[in-house]
Amino acid sequence: MIRYLLAIFVILLASFVLRQFVPVFPEFYHARFFLVLLIFICAAVTLDAIGMLLLSFVCGLLWDAQHTILPVVGDPEIYTDTAATLKFGYSIFLFAIAGFVMQGVRPLFKEGKWQASFLVTGVAVFLYLVIELMLLSFVRGRVVLTGDTLRFIFFSSVLTMLFSPFVFLLLFKLAKTFRYEIRIKGLRHRGHH
Amino acid sequence: MKPLTLFVLLIFLGATTWVLTWSPLTVRKFQETYYRAIGPFLKSGSNIEKFSREFVREVEHSENLQRKLEAIQADYGELKIIEGRFRELERENLQLNQALGFQKGTTFDVKAAKVIKRQPSTWWDTLTINRGEKDDLGTQLTVLAEGGLVGRVDQAFEDAANVLLLTDESCQVSVYIEGSPEKGILSGDPGDYGTTPLLRLRYLSRNAALQQGMKVFTTGLGGIFPPDIQVGTIAETIPGSYESEALVKPSVDLQNLAVVFVLAGDQTAVEEKEAEE
Repeated sequence: MIRYLLAIFVILLASFVLRQFVPVFPEFYHARFFLVLLIFICAAVTLDAIGMLLLSFVCGLLWDAQHTILPVVGDPEIYTDTAATLKFGYSIFLFAIAGFVMQGVRPLFKEGKWQASFLVTGVAVFLYLVIELMLLSFVRGRVVLTGDTLRFIFFSSVLTMLFSPFVFLLLFKLAKTFRYEIRIKGLRHRGHH
Repeated sequence: MKPLTLFVLLIFLGATTWVLTWSPLTVRKFQETYYRAIGPFLKSGSNIEKFSREFVREVEHSENLQRKLEAIQADYGELKIIEGRFRELERENLQLNQALGFQKGTTFDVKAAKVIKRQPSTWWDTLTINRGEKDDLGTQLTVLAEGGLVGRVDQAFEDAANVLLLTDESCQVSVYIEGSPEKGILSGDPGDYGTTPLLRLRYLSRNAALQQGMKVFTTGLGGIFPPDIQVGTIAETIPGSYESEALVKPSVDLQNLAVVFVLAGDQTAVEEKEAEE
């Protein structure tokens, strides 16, 4: 499992760099393909809770390192109402929530029914983005959820979900290479011997 | 739940809570380390992306022509900004000479930078430029383009810097409206996914007499942006019970930025501060 986990770490690190070059789709409300989130979500269903928590900590930390914007300190007499922002590290919890959603379908995944995981991938991305937006609304003191925002979240979730079979395929290959048993079928087979 | 899983969950919660308590300085240091680590990969990736983009353009234009055009565009934009600043200084000098018999010496410098990446964040409207600390760029510096204000530098790294755009809600600008006594705070409107995002101007008086097309400039108050930089034009006024709001169309096409100018070494603000002290 350790070698498989390390391989996922390497892929995730590469995806952090690659995601910088993934374009947005202005035609679909600026929907974007969440590469890092997708790899994490797909990996989360193949790992146990401990591995998933470890991944979510690293992903959340690096994600926030890439995105966190610190507040500007202007003259408080002029800028009386500065826009509050989320604390560095909040993404760790969001990744963990998405990971736990995927852990819920892990029994089905272990039976080889990856199609359910494919759909739940979209749900997990949708949940991640909605919760993040809700947190942002909470700290800013007003709901920033508009029709356009919901469409952005929806199209981004669908777009990201559509790529999940490719990531699952990659993970199966990795598991095979590092002799990590993802499916219970394989364990049963080994158990009969 | 297995005891080991429970133990790991507790460690996870503890570690995450510890991260949440990091000070802004620690966060900046961590971000600097992170960007230093991925910097070479980003640069290589950006070069590959740039190469492939230029290869496509090669079909229509020769590489030399493209380079010349880019250089001319950069020079033209830089000169326009310099010209604008000179006019502002001329006006300022004239006013001060007339009123106080006082002439003020001001030095400034703009640095052209290319946009490497657009919108790397989900909810924050940012872009990345190809200049950083090596070029003496620091945080909070004003970023301009042909036409006016773009935003401010949020993070500066060795070879790159992240710019927070005007269209982001976190980027607030104190502004005035030309031909009107109105002043207000301008910021991005969250959830606006239109092709030409409008900015929201708040804290205007209840009966603000504004007309479509009126120009909006920075006041220079608050210590973040220098004064008299054009930000946009009034697109719509929204009357309110206690105060009015207005929607402002940015004077810069923020969706298609290729070259920006970082206003570095603006001595006016420093001298004003020193004079105040």
